[in-house]
Order: sequence, then C-alpha cells, then structure tokens
Amino acid sequence: MMPLAILLGVVTFAGGLVWAERRLLALWQDRYGPNRVGPFGLLQVVADAIKLLTKEDWVPPFADRALFVLAPALVMVTALLSFAVVPVAPGIGVVGSNVGLLFFLAMTSMGAWGVVLAGWASNSKYSLLGGLRSAAQLLTYEAFMGLSLCGVVILAGSFDLREIVLAQRRVWFVVPQIVGCLTFLVAGLAAIHRLPFDLPEAEAELVAGYHSEYSGMKFAMFFVAEYVGITLISALSAVLFFGGWLGPVLPPIVWFFLKTSFFVGFFILLRAALPRPRFDQLMAFGWKVMLPVSLANLLVTGAIVLS
Amino acid sequence: MEAPAHPIVQRFAARAVADEARDVPTFWIDAARIHEVLTFLKDEVERPYRMLYDLTAIDERMRRAAPGPPREMTVVYHLLSLERNQDVRLKVAVPSEAPAVPTATDIWPSASWYEREVWDMFGVKFDGHPDLRRILMPPTWRGHPLRKDHPARATEMGVFELPDERAQAEEEAMRSAEREPTDSTRILTLNLGPQHPGTHGVLRIVLDLDGERIVDARPDIGFHHRGAEKMGERQSWHTFIPYTDRIDYLGGVVNELPYLLAVEALAGIEVPDRAKVIRIMLCELFRIASHLVWYGTFAQDLGALSPVFYMFTDRERAFQIVEAICGARMHPGWFRIGGVAQDLPRGWDGLVREFCEHMPDRLREYDRMVMKNPIFQARTRGIGAYTTAQAIEWGVTGPGLRATGLGWDFRKKRPYGGYDHFEFDIPTAAAGDSYARAEVRVAEMWQSLRIIEQCVNDMPGGPVKADHPLATPPPKERALHDIEALITHFLGVSWGPVIPAGEAFCGVEATKGSNGYYLVSDGDVHPYRVRIRTPSFPHMQMLPAISRGLMVSDLVTILGSIDFVLADVDR
Amino acid sequence: MNALFWLAAAVAVLSTALAISRPSPVRGLVYFVVSLLAVAVIFFLLGAPFVAAFEVILYAGGIMVLFLFAVMLLGTGPDAVATERQALRPRTWLGPAALGLVLLAELVVALVRRGAAAAPGGMVGPERVGLALVGPYLLAVEIASMLLVAALVGAVHLGRREEGEPR
Repeated sequence: MMPLAILLGVVTFAGGLVWAERRLLALWQDRYGPNRVGPFGLLQVVADAIKLLTKEDWVPPFADRALFVLAPALVMVTALLSFAVVPVAPGIGVVGSNVGLLFFLAMTSMGAWGVVLAGWASNSKYSLLGGLRSAAQLLTYEAFMGLSLCGVVILAGSFDLREIVLAQRRVWFVVPQIVGCLTFLVAGLAAIHRLPFDLPEAEAELVAGYHSEYSGMKFAMFFVAEYVGITLISALSAVLFFGGWLGPVLPPIVWFFLKTSFFVGFFILLRAALPRPRFDQLMAFGWKVMLPVSLANLLVTGAIVLS
Repeated sequence: MEAPAHPIVQRFAARAVADEARDVPTFWIDAARIHEVLTFLKDEVERPYRMLYDLTAIDERMRRAAPGPPREMTVVYHLLSLERNQDVRLKVAVPSEAPAVPTATDIWPSASWYEREVWDMFGVKFDGHPDLRRILMPPTWRGHPLRKDHPARATEMGVFELPDERAQAEEEAMRSAEREPTDSTRILTLNLGPQHPGTHGVLRIVLDLDGERIVDARPDIGFHHRGAEKMGERQSWHTFIPYTDRIDYLGGVVNELPYLLAVEALAGIEVPDRAKVIRIMLCELFRIASHLVWYGTFAQDLGALSPVFYMFTDRERAFQIVEAICGARMHPGWFRIGGVAQDLPRGWDGLVREFCEHMPDRLREYDRMVMKNPIFQARTRGIGAYTTAQAIEWGVTGPGLRATGLGWDFRKKRPYGGYDHFEFDIPTAAAGDSYARAEVRVAEMWQSLRIIEQCVNDMPGGPVKADHPLATPPPKERALHDIEALITHFLGVSWGPVIPAGEAFCGVEATKGSNGYYLVSDGDVHPYRVRIRTPSFPHMQMLPAISRGLMVSDLVTILGSIDFVLADVDR
Repeated sequence: MNALFWLAAAVAVLSTALAISRPSPVRGLVYFVVSLLAVAVIFFLLGAPFVAAFEVILYAGGIMVLFLFAVMLLGTGPDAVATERQALRPRTWLGPAALGLVLLAELVVALVRRGAAAAPGGMVGPERVGLALVGPYLLAVEIASMLLVAALVGAVHLGRREEGEPR
C-alpha cells in the first residue's frame, strides 16, 4: 500500500504544483492566472489533464517511432522511481536502502537519457539542438551534483537518506554544508532544467527544444515529469540539508511537506526573477565555478571531519 | 539653387532640377554615370554623403505634368551627409522596357536589399548585383507590383485559386539551398521562422550552423508585406493617414507625422502651435509605449519572464491617455492634414501629469530588474556590436546609431514639427553592442518623459487645425452659410483635397530609427507615388553581418536589441 | 533470487547481442545501456549495491550519454545505417566471432573446473568498498588516477585552440 500511496501523493502534489506555479507566477507578475475553473481555478489542472488525454497522440512520420515513445516514459519513470528512496517521515517511505542517495543519482542520470533520446528520436533540428544541449548540461551538472552531496555523506557517514535525516537531529546540514547546499540546488535546477537552466527547451530560441514534436499524452508525461522533478529536488533539499521531517510540535509529515513546499516556491520564484544565460556561459559556470567550489567544499569537509 | 554651386554641379555639370524638389537638392544623372557620381559623393567630396538613406523608383508613365527630362521610369537615390546635415537626391531616367542601371552594392553594402526591392517592385535591373532576387513578393509572383499597369486590387486580378499542385510549387519555391559541407565541419541548415517565438513576427531566417555557432544567417522577409506604398496611390491624401499608423504598428501616431509633414510641405500649410505640441506629446507617449514593448520582449527573449508583464501594464497607462485623447489606442489615426482631429479633452493634463509622476519610479525599478541583472549583462554585452562607420555604411539610424556614440537625432539635427522649442538630451552609448542599444532606449524614455512634461506645462492655446482650404476635414461652419463654401466642403470631404503638384520628403526620428516619407504629387486627389523609407528595413539587412560567428542564443539577443517591427520591414 | 539472476543475465546477453547487431548507432547505444542496467541488477543481486549504483551513474548515465552526444553531433543519416549494414555482413564478423567463441569456451572450461564461484558473502556496503579502495588497493587506485589525469591533460591539449583560430 505504501508505495502506491506515495506514488499517488507525488503525482497529486505535482499536479497541484502546476496550478500553484501558474498562480504564483501570476501573483508575482501582476496578473490573475487561472481562476475560472473551479474554486480559485483549482480544477484547471483537471481540465488540462482531460484536454491532454483526449488530444490526438501524434507521432511525426519522420520520427524514430520506438525511441520517440520510449523517451517520455523513461523521463517519467525515473523521476517517480527516485521517490522510492525519499524518506517522508518515520515509517513512511518506500524502501530504505544503504545506497539510497546513489540510487537517486543513478535515476537522475537515467532521466537524462529520456530527454536526450527525445531530442534524437524527434528527428527535428530544434529537438536535436535541445537534445545536444541537455546532454552536455546534464553531464556537466551531474559531475558536481554528486560531489556537492559528498559533504553530507561524510558528515552523516551513510548513503542512507533515513540516516542522513537522523544525523541532523542536532543541527541541520545546511549550517555546516552551506556551500554543498547551494551547489546542490544549482545542480538540481540544472538536472530538471528549470529556468535559468532551461536551455534544452529555451522557447525563445529552440521553441521547446527536445519536446517540440510531442503532443497529447506524451507531452503530458514530459510536463508532469518536470513537476515531479521539482518536487523531487525540493524534497531532497529538505531531506539532505534541512532535516527532512525533523521539527517541533507539528507531526513529521507536515514538516516534510512544509519544507518541500518552501523549496518548490523558491524554484518558482527563480523562474519569475531570472533571465536565461547563454549555453557556453552555463557550461563555463558549471566547470569553472561550481566544480572547483564543490571540490573545495569536499576537501574542507573531509579535513575537518578527520582532524 | 544654393549660393555656392553644389559640388556635384562643379564636378559633373549635371543639370540641377530645382522646380520639383522643395527641400532636397535634386539632380538628374545619366544611368551610365550614376556609379561614378555615387562614388564621388560617398568617398571623394568634402564632407561626404556617407549614408545611402533610401533607394527607390517611380513609374512615370501616367504622369500628367512632370518637369525634368522625358522618361518612363525614374530610379531615385537619396543620400545623407551627417557632416553637412544635408541630403541629396539623384534621379536616373530609365525606359520602362528592360530598364537597367549599374549596381551600387560595391559602394554601399546596404544597397543590396534596396536594389532587390526596386527590382521586385519595378522590374529595374541592377547590372552587377550579386543576388538580384525578389525580396518582398513571393518568388513565384508575376509582374512588378508598383508599376502603374499592375493591378492594385484583388478584384482586378481574377479569381484566386490554390490547387494542390500550385500550393506545392509555392512551397517548393521557398526551399532554401543547403550549404555544401566543408572538409572539417558539417553545416546544419536551420530554418528559423517564419513562425518562431524569437523573431517577433513573420520573419524567416535561414541559419547555417556549425554546432550552435552561426556560420551565416540569411534573412528572408516579405511575409508581412501589405503593399502600403501601392495602397497610397489609390487612397486620397486624407484617407491614407490610418494606413501609416500600421507601418510601424507599435509606433502609432509617430508614423503619421512624417507623412503629414510632407503633405503639409506640398500644400504649404502652417500648422498652429497647439496642434504641434499635441502632436509632439502624443508622439513621445508612443515612443515610450513602443520602447516599453521592446524592453519587455527583449527581457523575455533572454528568458526573463516577468518584466514584460510589468511593462505592458505601464504601456497600458500610456494607452489610457491616448484613448482619452483619441478614442483609439494603438492606431489612433489622430493627426490630420493641417493639425489634429480634435482638441484635447477636459482633464487631459491630470492624466498626463499622473503618468509623468508614475513612470520614473517604474523605470528605476526596471533598471534594477533588467539592466543591472548580471545574467542580462552577460547575455548582451559585446553581442552584435558594430562601429559608427559600419552603422552609417549599412544605413542604421535611431538608437542603433546612437549606441555607437554618434548623437544623431533628427529631432535635434533637423527640428521638425516644433521640436526646436523643447529641451531634451540625446542619449548615446559607446559600445555599439546589444547592451548599448538597450541603454540608449532606456535613456530615451526618460527624455521623452521630459518632453511630455514640457508639453503639459506649456501647452499653447488656440486652434488645433490650420485654417487652410486644404486642411482636412474642412471646417463645417462656413459651409452652412454660403453655397460656394458648401461646394468646396463637399468636394474636400468626398474627393479629398487636391494637393499641388511637386514632391516632398520628410524624415523624422521614429521609435525604431528614421522614418521618411517621399511623396510625389501630380496635382491630384491622391498621391502619385508614396515612398516609405522605414528604419527596420536596413537594420534587418545588417543582421547577417553582425551575427556571424555567434551562437543561436545571441541571434535572439540581436533580434531583440535591434527592435524591429516586421510591418516596418515589409511595409 | 536465482530466477531474477537468470532473467537479468538473459537480458544482458540478449541486449548485448542486439547492441552489436543494430545498424542504427542510437538503437545500438540504447541496447548497450539496457545491457549495462542488467549487469547492474546482477551486481545488486550479488550483494554489491554500491557497484550497481555506480555502474548506472557512471556507465549508463555518464559515459553512454557522452557516446550518444557524440553520435548526435556527428549525425547519422541513412548513409551511416548503410555503412553499418555493410559491416554486419557475415564475412566481416565471422572471424572475430570465432575467436570470441574460443574465449568463451576457455571461460566455460575454467568455470566448470573450479566450480561456480562461492555464493556471495552477504551484502557489501559502501564502507567496505571504500576501505578496500584506500586500503589494499590503494596503489591501483593511485595508478588509475594518474592515468585519468594524463587523459584529462591530453583532452585539454586536443581541445585547445590556438590564439586567433576561428572557434
């Protein structure tokens, strides 16, 4: 039952997130946002879902059919599978694994395949450029995403997310690992390619990039996977650096929910606030700034722990 | 015509035509010598005419009375000397059967598109032009639209049919050549547009890419061509005004001004002061509105999603004033020959004052939000840069020219329509890149606010339209008293005014650069020829030169920073 | 457990065969990734989750995406598929396949003589892997890292452009 409940919870949360993002963006941009379908426009998500489900599910004749169909499924499945190792609260979670963190990293890198394959299989030039961008971007940012987490692993002495949470009883890891936290947030943004790291889909340049050719249900998969991805990175930020479910008075699950929502809101705020860097600037930033910073962080953490 | 003879007369002893041209020295040149004369004026003469401001043609076969040598068609070169602050117009008489003149593309790179346009519209061949193809009309078009024997209305052209084969053929004609691969790199040909969110309208750019690096960019324009110049020939002088609004559709009344100033010059109408100030106030309001659209969409092109919403909200405030005064918003069609349509409504000054108080805070906030943003700066600095010399070579005017450090503004250099009574600065920037162009436009909004404030504070009284028989619409009061006035009024309204024969040019500082109207009147109720020189056309032509070697993302930056409007490119 | 192992093994073998025999390079890569995933599952079943995770992160995720990147960058039209088809004719692969069979036979004989490897001794957690790497195998790790640094320097050199050279 537990896996199913979490699966449903995640998908529902991601669906609600679509609405929340549109309303929040609207709030920050001096406009209304969806407010017609249902109370506060809450049913907009349902309307969108019905629309996407009933739309013609078109595979372009020039596409590589099998891979074209496989790609969105891959993105969606890996995003959802990552949640298997996220500890929501004591006793709530799918599996506890002693390599939980590594499993998350593995799933993230497999998710990259979905995006790159989508770009390839569409057999369209814009999609191809989007796919190329995402391949390069994901390789870059994965390199230091793992490194940024090593500090946490050293402090907690485990790859098990549950133990990482428990290790934060005294102090949240954001305090000793502030650099790791920041680098992880940047890498996480890049992994789910949200603005300002949305270069694979940059609509002003590549017209949605890797998913230009997708429609209907397959597009919906990319769409929902993006929001599942936001939820995942937010949940992991809470777990790894902000003590997961730990917190006074309120029940653990509420704390987890609140912390996750905070990061979700933060990501949406970023989207409202920032322009998009150019691709080579993004790569240079990744290799020349973020990678050395996370390496230095690892070095310092290791030195302090050993001394 | 001038006290010391024009250098062209001294050198070539060409016959100067003084009777037609009112404000621009005009000379007839033989087709065989035009290349030599152009080279002389650009490179050899003291204080040279460095800018090819316009190049067009006139089909003269239907002229009733045209001074000058006998001819069937005329090719017209309009050169601009920034040092002299003076123009010169050169005319070349050509036959209507297989007309040809030597190309000027080896003198000005910007001549290329102008010559293609003249070929497209008039069928004049330019010998030696490297790529003389149609530019505005589809490649499959038959005939040359601005010739007088080409129909102006769809109803004169027979039923339009588009069977599958023809649709196929039309599409096939649009196919662009793929680049041959070189030894080391494979070139990816990317078709950007005509439907693309980064192109701000129906513009097609064929990109040759090496990875994401631009090897070459080939703009393909004409998708927004609506035959505005042809329409001018069948509208009355008065009824053409609303069409001008839609040339640069973000500029609104700014477009009306050069047209009307040229008409008023032909008719010899002096516009009353109040009308002048109303015109200037509305023009500057539209300049702010247009710049706000540019500001927001530019930020959005670079991925910043929010500014565009704030800026459109502020633009809405400007439009509320325009609406209160004119009743319409984007295209008010508010100016009239000899003045404006109506006096200002009660309470207008309160609205405008409120706007002037509100905007500075907003502009400061946008500065923090957009111009000071490090990502924004990283995306725009050094991108799409050109020097002053290059800008003049390519016919760049407006903020794009001032961003290179040259403070050339028609409002200051050739104060038209009453701008000499206002105090304002000409903002410039030095770098000539996308960021510099943005800086100039932002600073221009401040200056426009200054001008508007002066308009509110010193609005003169008096009539808003000249008391002149050719002013439109003619005053009604006297028509109710005597039959002669009634007949004049009736003719003036039903046919429109008869503007005296002659030609006139007026160029103004529009929102995107210099917008100029060159009108030829045959003494009729409608213009004989309306030439609209728009700023976006040469700016767009420059695109390949400044985007080579950059990335696709930079192309979007450049497109945004040029601030073009496709209707302004294609007319 | 055994059934899962055989299943994963079968998937690994089959997908590897398909990876070799597909004319389209991208399809080949996809099958190769499946093969790597299957091997990761086998590692996991054998009680080495740490190795399994890294197999996915580094090989399936990192290196294969790099391969895919290269394939996409070079572009593979119908000509490339035709070339592949050419290369897949029996004449070209019979020789290597025969040699491969000899190796397989050796492997089988060796395994049968020594008997199947002992059942995995329980889970090998990350700590044990780490200790092994900086303990008994320290020298090997250092030599490998030297090799990687050399590769890195080489890559930088190859990727460097001379001053003024068009990018």
